[in-house]
Amino acid sequence: MRLHPFALSEPETVPEAVEVLARFDGEARVIAGGTALVPTMRLGLVRPDRLVSLHRVPALSGIRVDGDALDIGAMTSLAALSRHDAVRARWPLLGQAALRVATPAIRSTATLGGNLCYAEAASDPAPALLCLEAQVRVAGPSGERAVPLAGFFTGFYETAVAPGEILTAVRVPAAPAGAGSGYMRFCPRSAEDKPLVGVAALLVLDAAKRVAEVRIALGGAAPTPIRARRAESALGGEPLTDAAISAAAEAAAAEADPLSDLMGSAAYRREMIRVWVRRLLLSLR
Amino acid sequence: MISIDFTLNGRPCRIDVPAHWTALDLLRDGLALNGTKYGCGEGVCGTCTVLLDGEPVRSCLVLAARLRGRVVLTVEGLDRDGEPDRLQAAFARAGAVQCGFCTPGMLLSARALLASNPSPSEQDVREALAGNLCRCTGYTKIVHAVLAAAGGP
Repeated sequence: MRLHPFALSEPETVPEAVEVLARFDGEARVIAGGTALVPTMRLGLVRPDRLVSLHRVPALSGIRVDGDALDIGAMTSLAALSRHDAVRARWPLLGQAALRVATPAIRSTATLGGNLCYAEAASDPAPALLCLEAQVRVAGPSGERAVPLAGFFTGFYETAVAPGEILTAVRVPAAPAGAGSGYMRFCPRSAEDKPLVGVAALLVLDAAKRVAEVRIALGGAAPTPIRARRAESALGGEPLTDAAISAAAEAAAAEADPLSDLMGSAAYRREMIRVWVRRLLLSLR
Repeated sequence: MISIDFTLNGRPCRIDVPAHWTALDLLRDGLALNGTKYGCGEGVCGTCTVLLDGEPVRSCLVLAARLRGRVVLTVEGLDRDGEPDRLQAAFARAGAVQCGFCTPGMLLSARALLASNPSPSEQDVREALAGNLCRCTGYTKIVHAVLAAAGGP
């Protein structure tokens, strides 16, 4: 079965891509890896007259360590991200989450920018990047702006990227010294599916084994990926006792705002958030 | 129409294709290479898997335009002068084929695995093939065939 006929633009610079989007105002759609957009088109859910493919824009590719921070071009594949030496050594949470997306032949094609712009609530990389307090850069007709990831997801499959704008890069600051981190996901059906819920956490313990810093983020727990701030508050300054971990897991389940869909009901998701936040924190103790 | 140049199974290829064609449309309908199969069309089943610069991709999801300047390997490019390659021979010996529809994708995913990990564990093989569905459910023999090819001459 063919895709519907559409025109294709293949710009070679970001300004050129922005210019094409403006010229075909409302009729053109950006395609990165295509692993989300092509099936969506095939299902007839979207029918753009023109695609603007970013695969020929060199400025959007590559991973660069910039001092303490990591700069990831939006067109970087999840496979390249997960096997990058600096990512594995210094941002293992991100590499680990990227490696959990779908299957090898999807990760080779799917891009980090595309994953974030698709804004799947059960994204694997998004909770990891929320824990790492990443920022994204967005280019548009009036130039480039930085958006903290915490303010990027604005609603169900909606982001802060306005029509005519392009996400160009993801910047990840250094993780706090001595931080431990982990990502766990729960797939009730098959391992290559998107998760019912995903949980990322980053923890720093002080010399007395009390929680000096904690960040917890959830996928599949709300219409967008979210930070679990109340769960974090439940742990701050406390030793990681069984009781403290259970309290944090309860808080995460309570602050989640999950949806019901074919994978599971809201009540089941909430219960699984409790279970998996607890399991992840126990593994980081 | 757009014009693309790429390397296909070791040979240069230049062809004009409609902009909305996928790599799979190009292989099957533009070049009559029907070894690569159309299964789900959504990137789930894996039977359209080909190698792009050595990495497995779903040809049903990749626009043909993205092949420009790159190196593509399909199941038709595996044999050497008509002799089956190591994986093909191992699949035949192990009986790792029932209806055969998933086989091209299995072979290419396995080839990418062995290129990056010449001595995989059974778990490595299962993870590498996780995106290739066999609806005959013949997974055990397929996994054995890949392990045999890795260990074999």
